[in-house]
Formats: sequence, structure tokens, C-alpha cells
Amino acid sequence: MENRSEVEILIVEDNPHDAEMALRALKKNKLTNNVLVVHDGEEALDFVFARGKFASRQKSQRPKIILLDLKLPKIDGLEVLKEIKSNPETKVIPVIMLTSSKEESDLVKSYELGVNSYIVKPVDFDKFVEAIREIGFYWLLLNQQKI
Amino acid sequence: MKYDRLKLFSLLVLLLIATIRLAQADTPGVRSASGKAILLGSEADYPPYCSLDEHGEPTGFAVDLFKAAAQAANLQVEIQIGPWLALKEYLAEGQIEALPIVARSAEREALYDFTIPYLQLHSAIFVRNNNNDIHTLADLKGKEILVMKGDIAEETLRREQISEFIVTTTTFDEAFLKLAAGEADAVVVQRIIGLKIIDRLGLKSIIPRQAHLDVFRQEFCFAVKKGDEQLLAGLNEGLAIVMADGRFNEIYGAWLGPLVSEELSKAEILKMVLWILLPLTAVLVLLWIVFLRKEVKKRTRYLNKEIVRHKRTWEELQQQQVQLKKSEAQIRLLLNSTAEGIYGIDPQGDCTFINKAALEVLGFTDRSQVIGRNMHQLIHHTKTDGSLYGSGECEIHRAFNTGEGMHKDDDVLWRSDGTSFSAEYYSYPIRQNGETTGVVVTFWDITERKKAEGELLNLKRNLEIEVVQRTVELEEKVHKLDKSQQAMLYMVEDLNEVTNTMKEERRKLELSNQELDAFTYSVSHDLRAPLRAINGYSDFLLEDYSDKLDGEGKRFLQIIRNSASKMDRLITDMLNLSRISRTEMRMAAVDMGRVAQTIFQEIATAEDQNSFDLEVEELPTVLCDYALMKQVWINLISNALKYSGKSAVKKIQIGSQKAEHELVFFVKDFGAGFDPKYQDRLFGVFQRLHREEEFKGTGVGLAIVQRIIHRHGGRVWAESEQPEGATFFFSLPLK
Repeated sequence: MENRSEVEILIVEDNPHDAEMALRALKKNKLTNNVLVVHDGEEALDFVFARGKFASRQKSQRPKIILLDLKLPKIDGLEVLKEIKSNPETKVIPVIMLTSSKEESDLVKSYELGVNSYIVKPVDFDKFVEAIREIGFYWLLLNQQKI
Repeated sequence: MKYDRLKLFSLLVLLLIATIRLAQADTPGVRSASGKAILLGSEADYPPYCSLDEHGEPTGFAVDLFKAAAQAANLQVEIQIGPWLALKEYLAEGQIEALPIVARSAEREALYDFTIPYLQLHSAIFVRNNNNDIHTLADLKGKEILVMKGDIAEETLRREQISEFIVTTTTFDEAFLKLAAGEADAVVVQRIIGLKIIDRLGLKSIIPRQAHLDVFRQEFCFAVKKGDEQLLAGLNEGLAIVMADGRFNEIYGAWLGPLVSEELSKAEILKMVLWILLPLTAVLVLLWIVFLRKEVKKRTRYLNKEIVRHKRTWEELQQQQVQLKKSEAQIRLLLNSTAEGIYGIDPQGDCTFINKAALEVLGFTDRSQVIGRNMHQLIHHTKTDGSLYGSGECEIHRAFNTGEGMHKDDDVLWRSDGTSFSAEYYSYPIRQNGETTGVVVTFWDITERKKAEGELLNLKRNLEIEVVQRTVELEEKVHKLDKSQQAMLYMVEDLNEVTNTMKEERRKLELSNQELDAFTYSVSHDLRAPLRAINGYSDFLLEDYSDKLDGEGKRFLQIIRNSASKMDRLITDMLNLSRISRTEMRMAAVDMGRVAQTIFQEIATAEDQNSFDLEVEELPTVLCDYALMKQVWINLISNALKYSGKSAVKKIQIGSQKAEHELVFFVKDFGAGFDPKYQDRLFGVFQRLHREEEFKGTGVGLAIVQRIIHRHGGRVWAESEQPEGATFFFSLPLK
């Protein structure tokens, strides 16, 4: 819990297996430090805007990257994306959409809302590791440079 | 004596000129004092004929003479200075209009027209004073001779072939300077000009030879452009005037007097004057003759015209007479040919004339029975009702009193046999000098018309009855129509109902489409999550616990992973298939040949590209959805590649043919082929005719092809002769 203020990677994923696989994929890429998993859209927004159970968090400490599942309970992924990207303080955080398919309507909407990139969660785990490596590293590095 | 004769001649010339002027007075376009000036070209260095004075103005004997002649002919002059060679060309091309001094020669006559000569000069041979070889023309043979380019001396030397060594210079000065410098043997040039130049340049070593050169005797004239007859005539006239009134002598004396007197004897002058005057006289006489002939021609033409005019008048008169007789006859004919009866009466009411139709209608056989008789008494004596008609009330006679015409169509006239007939008539007064001298009556029998009018009245009555009947019928029909309109309205209502039902159906369809979308979404999202877990956790197991698993355990895990992957592929294909049915088509012209070629390059591996023999015929461009059509080619070509993988013949043929209503495309391979009895199952979803181990695939590719082609309104089919490969066809409708 004391690490919360230093969270670098936020994973928003309701499926615990998918969350575990994402963590494992990060680990395979040696990105295990300060990863936080939240399980629905509400929790994600509470964390980002330091409210609810994350009220004690330092708001100025922004995560360096958010991996956001598209389909979430309570508040869905697109809504979370919209909130983050329409706030001037949080819109600089790179958001990478995690999605099960290339359903065009979702992707088009995500890009309209300002998503930075997306990863189609492949059935083949090796491919997922590869995708996390390529896209995750890119945005993480880019954001570090900016900060 | 000689002087007197000259004077007499001058008078004659003046007289002649006066008549020429008169003759020309009416010719249009003669340059007058008010008109445009003649553009005269002159040289600057041809003294004493053409040169410049201390102010740089053109002057010289020829220039002054030209000015004087032009003035006498009432012409204005403007002078342009230039080198001789250029001036000659300008004149030939018409850039200038005249040159004041040009020696006449056969060659030049082809280019210019010349006035009468006003000067005759000899050229002379000039040599250095230490030269003893050259005295006569004959001595020039084989000698080097200097002449100015374009000068008459050059032309003559060349024409007479006097020497082959002719050296030309641009100016006379240059020729003399070269001679003085010993560069040549002689200069041939106008004697007077030569003397002037020697004097001016102070070349004491140059002397002229005294011998007269007959071939170099030249007549000098004014020159104009070939064919400019108007200017030529004017200049000739002016020249004649200045020669006659003594101005020529003045100018001559002023410019050439001292030199010539030195050079020429009196006899020579006389000879020269005669030489000039004789041809001048000849020219003037010729002009006079020409003028007279012109005049006679003009007169003859005029007289001929007069004769023709008189003849025409006479012929016209004769024709008019014939016409008059003809029209008289025509009037008579007309009068007798009309169907109307026409007769005339005098103020007493007696008949003065009657036409044939009137006689016939009234039942008379001869005019004599009518002419002179009182017409009222004869044919108009009784009214329609049988009462007597007094001549005092006669309507026909009214024209005498009123002087105006009248018309009546409800009267009767009486025949000679005592019967009457309904008649219509017009009565018009005949006027002569403002007095009514008679009346013309035109009439015709209207019995038939009256009868027809009666019938018409009957008809009208019948028609009115019929109209009433018809109106009733129409009203009935309108009533019926109203009823059917009502029926139509009911129909429209029904139609609206149907439309609403259809709208409802459509709404339901849209709803089910939305449901399908939701289904697709959940398939892609929810079905995949467990697959990912199966695959992922199998992977973790294999990675984290590989030391606890034996070979068989690892194989099982591998099968689980492969199956999960395959299911993923099946889901992907299913989603693709549903997307193809749902996406909107965007039609564009697509070059099928190019697409097929490109697809092959993209999907065939480098190895395939080497081993396969691809034959693509020329394919047409068609209107279709580019992305979908690309998918068709991808699926068909990748199928062909896949099923040829194990075949010895690696060849793909792509082509098309045009049928009656459709374009048919085909992809033929020489691979595994298929069993024709399963032909109709080929295009079904997830249908496979080969085992997975033989050829990999999910069985969706051809289903996609079929769906795309059906959406384009075409058909798909396939043929195979196992094991000789398969041919897949698809067609697109020709609009």
C-alpha cells in the first residue's frame, strides 16, 4: 500500500486471469515495479483522480502508463478513457486500450477519445508478451522523457 | 535657231502634258500635294548626282531634278539616305518608291520601271598616270579592274565579259584609293563621278583615259518599283515639264555645267540634248496616242450603251402593249368565267352589260334580250311575299343615291320563265370623275344555301337534344367515378397500412441487426477470454512446471494450446464472415488484372513465386467494392497456392470471358482438386473436403468468396477433375 503513490503502471482489467496474464507479460519484460491492478472503471477513475479509497493518494503522482480493458463493469473502458483524456491534468497520461477483437466501432471511438495505442489481447500468450514489449516500452520511455 | 526650235518643242510638250493631265484628272489615286509623299532613296556619296550638303540634307543633280519633276507633277517627296546596294534592294521590295538616278539596263528592267532618260553619260577607265598598258576597252582584258558593287559598270563588265578579274568595293572612294595604292590596274566608273572623286580625294596620280566606251554609254532615269505605273506616269510628266520650262537646264548648269563644259564640246551637248529629246518626244507622242485611243474607246462604249438603252425602251413599250391587250382579254374571260352573275345598269336602271353566268341564272339565251332593258322591271319586279316592288323602293338603286355599296341576302330575283329564286346580291356604284355613272350588281342563287341553312337548324335542334342526353350519361359516369375514387382511397389506406407494417418489419430487422452486432461483439469478447486463459495458463504450466511433466504431459498441453488457437481462428473467421455481410459496399472501377497480379505478389512466398508459373490473361475493369473484391482474389489465389503445394505441376491460370449477361472470371490450378460429388458443399461455412493434416484451413475462405460475389449480384461455382486440379469461377453481372 505504501507503494501506491509511486504507481508507474496501472492495469484496469476485470478478468482476473487476463490481469494475471498481463502482469506476467510485464514481468517477462522486466516491468514489475509499481504495477497496480484495479478491477472496474470506477476504481480506475478513483485512482487517477485521487478520490474514494484512493483519496489519500498524492494526485500529482501520475501513473506513467495505463493499460485499460475496453469492457469493464460499472463504468466501461471508453467512459474511463473519455474522463482521463478530457481533463487537462490527466490527459498527458498514455492510455493503451486492451481489447479482445479489432471490432472497428470500438477502435474508431477510442481514437476519437484520444487513446494513444491499443493491444488486441491474443489467445497466444507469446504474442501478448511481444505486444506489451513493443507498445508498453514505447509509451513508457516516451513518458519518462517527457517527465 | 536651235534655241527657237527647242522653245517650240517645249511648247508642244507642255501642250501634250496639259492634255495628259486632263486625261488623268479623273483617274483616282494619283498622289496629290495633299496626299502621301513619295519615299525617295538617295545615296550620300555619288556626287554630283547624289550627296549631302553641309547640313546633311540630301542634294545633288539627280535629287534636285527629282524634286523639281515631282513638284511640277504636284507630288511631295521624302528622302531616305542609304548605301546604293541597299537602296536597290529596298526599291525592288517596295520599301522605298523611287530612286533618282539609275542607269537603265536589261537586267534592271526586270526589277524596275524607268522614266524617260534625262542624262546620258559615259563611263571611263581610270588608271594610275604611270600606266601605259591600258588605253581602250580591249586593253582591260586580263587586267584587274575595280568597280563599286552593284554599280552599272560592274553589271556591264560582267555582261560583256571584259575581264575575269573584277574586284568590287563598297564605295567609289574605296575603289579609287585602292587603285592609287596599286591594288588593281584600273577603275571603271562614270567619268564625271570619277573626276569629282579624284578631285575631292586629291589623287593626282589617277587619270581618266579619253577613249569613249560605247558599251558603257548609259542612259540615266528615275526608277520606280516594277509595275508602279501611276508614279511612273507622274514622274514622266514632271520630267517633261521641267525639261520644257528650262528648269532642267538650270539644275544641270548648277551641278554639271563647269565639269561638262570642260569635258564636252557643243556638238556633243547638242547630240546629247537631241538624244534625250528624241526619245522624250517619242514617249510623249506615244502617250498622246494612248490617250486618244482611250478617248475613242470611251466614246464608242458610251454610244453603244445609248443604243442598247433605246432598244430596251422600245421593247418595253411593245411588251406593255401586248400586256394591255392580254389583260383586257383576261378581264373579259374573268367576267364570263365567274360563277356569280354580274350586270351593270345606268342611272335610269337600264342594263349596260351582263355576264354569261347572269344570263344563265336568269334564264336568258342572249345578251340582246337584256341589254338596254330596265332591270328592276325585268327581274326584280315582285317581292318575296308576292306584292309588287316599286322601282322607287328598289334597294339596288339605293347605290345611286348614297354612293355606297350595299348587300342583301333575303330577297328574290325573277327568271325569264316567271319563276323566282332566293338571291344574295351586292350593288356597288361605278364612279367616274366623282359622279356615279352606274351600278354594278353581283348576285348568285342561294336556294341551295337557304335549304342547307334549314337543315342546319334542324341539326342544331337534334344536337341540343343529344347534348342533354349525353349530359345525363356523363353525370352518371361521374357518379360512378366518384365511387371508384372512394375505392381508390380505401386502397391507399390499405397501402399505408402495408407500408406501416413494412416499416415495422424494417425496424424489427434493424433491431435484429443490432442484436447480431451485440452477438458478434460478445462472441469476440466473451468467447475469447476463456480461450486466452486456456492458452495462457497452459503456457505458464509448461514454463513453470516443465521439470515435473514428462513428454506425454507436455504433448497434452501442446494439444490444448493448439486447440485453443484453432478455436480462436474459427471465431475470427466467423466474425469476418459476418462483417462481410454487414459492411456497406463502396463501388468503384477496379482493374481486375492488376489486383490479381498484386495479390499473388503479396501472398505468395518468395519460394512460391519462383516455383509457380502464373498466367494472367488480360482482365477487364469492373465496378465493384475494391476491398471485398481484393478478399475474393486473396482467398482464391491462396487456395490455388495451398492445394498445389503437393502437386508436381505448379501453375495458376487466371482469366475471364464475357457471357451474355455476365463477366466470368476463373482461377485454375493443377493441384489436389476435389471430388465433384461434393461440389455443392464447397462454398458452405466450415465445410472442408480435405483433412486438416493434408491441408490446413477453417473452411471459411470459399464461403466468404460466395458471400462477396452474391452481394455483387454474381454467382460462384467450381469444376474439378481429380487429380488434375480445380477451377473456381465467379461471375459479375454486366449491369
